[in-house]
Amino acid sequence: MGNNKSQKDLEISTRRDFFKKTAALGVTALAGTSLAASQDDPAIMHHVPWGQKWGDPVTKNRYGIPSAYEHNNTRRNTKLLASGNYRASIAVTPIHESEGIITPNGLFFSRCHGGTAQVDPAEYRLMIHGLVDKPIVLTLDQLKRYPSVTRTHFIECPANGGQEWRGPQFNSLQFSKGFMASAQWTGVYIKTILDDLGLKPSAKWMLAEGSDNSEMGRSVPVEKILDDAMIVWGQNGEALRPEQGYPVRLLLPGWEGNLCVKWLKRLEFADEPWYAKEETSKYTALKPGGKAIQHFYANEVNSTVVSPSPEKPWTDLKAGDVVEIEGLAWSGMGTITLVDLSFDGGKTYKEASLKGLVLPKSWTRWSYMYTIPKDFQENGKQILLTSRAMDDAGYIQPTIDQETDVMGVESVYHRNGVETWEVTSTGKVNHVQVRTPGGVKNV
Amino acid sequence: MFKTNRNLIVSASVAVSVALLTAGCLEGGATPSDNNSLSKASIDGGVSYPLVNGKTSVYLVNEQNVGMKINNGRAPTENELKAWDKDVMPDGTGLPEGEGSVEEGEELYEAKCVMCHGDFGSGGGGYPSLSKGNAVDLQKTLVNQRNTPDADGPVRVFGSYWPKASTMWWYIKDGMPHTKSKTLTDDETYALAAYMLNINEMSIDGEEVDDEYVLNREKFLKIKMPNRDGFIPNIDGPNGPENVRKFYANPNNFGAQKVANPAERCMTNCQDKTAKVVHIQNGGITDFEPPISVKRDLPKKEASDMGFNVMANYENNCMPCHGADGMGAPVMGDKDAWGDVISKGMTAVYKNGLNGINGMPAKGGASVSDDEFKLLVDYMIDHSK
Repeated sequence: MGNNKSQKDLEISTRRDFFKKTAALGVTALAGTSLAASQDDPAIMHHVPWGQKWGDPVTKNRYGIPSAYEHNNTRRNTKLLASGNYRASIAVTPIHESEGIITPNGLFFSRCHGGTAQVDPAEYRLMIHGLVDKPIVLTLDQLKRYPSVTRTHFIECPANGGQEWRGPQFNSLQFSKGFMASAQWTGVYIKTILDDLGLKPSAKWMLAEGSDNSEMGRSVPVEKILDDAMIVWGQNGEALRPEQGYPVRLLLPGWEGNLCVKWLKRLEFADEPWYAKEETSKYTALKPGGKAIQHFYANEVNSTVVSPSPEKPWTDLKAGDVVEIEGLAWSGMGTITLVDLSFDGGKTYKEASLKGLVLPKSWTRWSYMYTIPKDFQENGKQILLTSRAMDDAGYIQPTIDQETDVMGVESVYHRNGVETWEVTSTGKVNHVQVRTPGGVKNV
Repeated sequence: MFKTNRNLIVSASVAVSVALLTAGCLEGGATPSDNNSLSKASIDGGVSYPLVNGKTSVYLVNEQNVGMKINNGRAPTENELKAWDKDVMPDGTGLPEGEGSVEEGEELYEAKCVMCHGDFGSGGGGYPSLSKGNAVDLQKTLVNQRNTPDADGPVRVFGSYWPKASTMWWYIKDGMPHTKSKTLTDDETYALAAYMLNINEMSIDGEEVDDEYVLNREKFLKIKMPNRDGFIPNIDGPNGPENVRKFYANPNNFGAQKVANPAERCMTNCQDKTAKVVHIQNGGITDFEPPISVKRDLPKKEASDMGFNVMANYENNCMPCHGADGMGAPVMGDKDAWGDVISKGMTAVYKNGLNGINGMPAKGGASVSDDEFKLLVDYMIDHSK
């Protein structure tokens, strides 16, 4: 660090740079000589303002809020998805700032079809009826009296990435993959309640209906209800947020977020499906032959590189730096078994390492230690980072060509082809896709 | 009966996992010959985690409650069931008697719907289109793919795409008008349904739903949607769930890839030879709110009145109707239209806006205080002089 560097320059230089440059001069340091005074970090040399005065009293913010410096870590929205004055709309999760496999409740993506309902828990009722021996009405307190279970699952809107069937549009991880989030949910298995109510053998479908303005409803096959379907009221150790259906939502682990009906008021069992609006007009995937897939339940195996990302580039790194490439993998059809990482846009892959908890139908963190090459190039070409996950059902992410060969480019939902970040010679990161231009074979 | 049912399912799941394990070692999952073993797999094509040694996957399960009757809650009354069980199924279950004409429907539409859905259901302001023309003709566009820059896409509106008319009646009755749902009578719902059929140029039982048409329950149940056979798998009837299971047992049906043995997954030459790096065209979509930033600094105070961002609130709450022609609301910048509004006096203008007028809901549906709402009105008037 030269003498001509201003204090401001010093402050914005990264910690990494600081240590590296310090290390380069380490020969003198080893010889027992200190660095020149001009290299002293003011953040160390001066008393910091918060170290010399009273902090806030513990009586402030009785419900804690993030540091004011974290104000850019927020959900975001775009006019492309502003339907209904942002009442039939979505605000997406800042995946690029995500840590671990849990999303803080305030950052959990928010999707609604008639605005976020503000439900009075005292007037909350859940009705379960139809093909059951004993129909019931429950208050919130009564619902919570059932034996509870706690499970960690992601919830993903099946339109995650759905704006990019015909090519990349968002130079952003938040908008490319942020139609999802993950939490630890607490509630009751519906099968536990049905043990008491008695499900009639003729019941094949369940209608889940919300109490919100849009009365959002979906038909769910009974098989899922008797497997792992839950009615949940807890999210990461507290009550659900209004945006997640306070006080009660349906949770169908691994399945479309839309199926996990919020502000849940009614479950009806019947022998035929209902054809609700959000299972016909939307949430159906049109294929090239003109037929659309309906009742497309599970979010398929998927993954993304989180660090770096367009939001968190490598512009502060240079050749020889060692960095952790980190990402998320998830599957609504099982448990992540492995993740591969490619540096050439998905032509060749190397296996990455899974880390932390590896849970079914959950976000899973993966990692790959990497030494930055000169000009961010591998074999004379800019790095193209592509991740590809596999689950224990045997599914592996398709290439974009493999997926569009079957699904075309008009299906909107359930896109899980591999995605790519291009790293430029300055370490900037751009969202690109590796695909055959215009290629839809099955038209 | 239920117990038996559940036991069957549990034992079936165990059989499935065994079948999957065996199948997984022997052959690829994507071949049609797998249908026998895979037809028993989970309905969604994935795996399930049956209870084994007190655990499902890695989670310990409390089994103490099994077999215990947990008497909870109470039975709903007949009236409570009637009040909440309002869904309408394709066979007419739940569809009440009633009657409404296209003419009445058009009147209602002009009063309560046009400000969002546009003239004749053309859409606008981010709200869905209800019609793009003749339903039978437009159903044929569903094979369209925009795989070249100038190709037309498929038209997915009520008439051309939806498989069942019951969905439309039910949603209008339950979810519309968007700012004041569940306020339409059954007859009004029939009238709006008739108008929907009319603007989609549809027929019932060979009779065109023209401007004179009067719709009732009996006629409604005869509606045949042009795209009624356009959806897979077939979910109807006693075999519905089994059809779904069979569909998702074949990854080729939904664009998925399966590898029997992880060691056999592709590690080299995994992209098509014709694949190229495709970049974002024309800058892509960047109108993110708030703009993307990863800075860790103190937030700047927004330059706005009373700490209220007038422009952002205008865009979120007012612009969808006041920003474009054809929505029935005075358009910002239209001096004549706003001149008429202001001529009533500002007290009346504020009052009408705060309480709602014509198709406009109270405060335009905005979650703002009365004073903030007035700032929005002032903003539009200032830009319409």
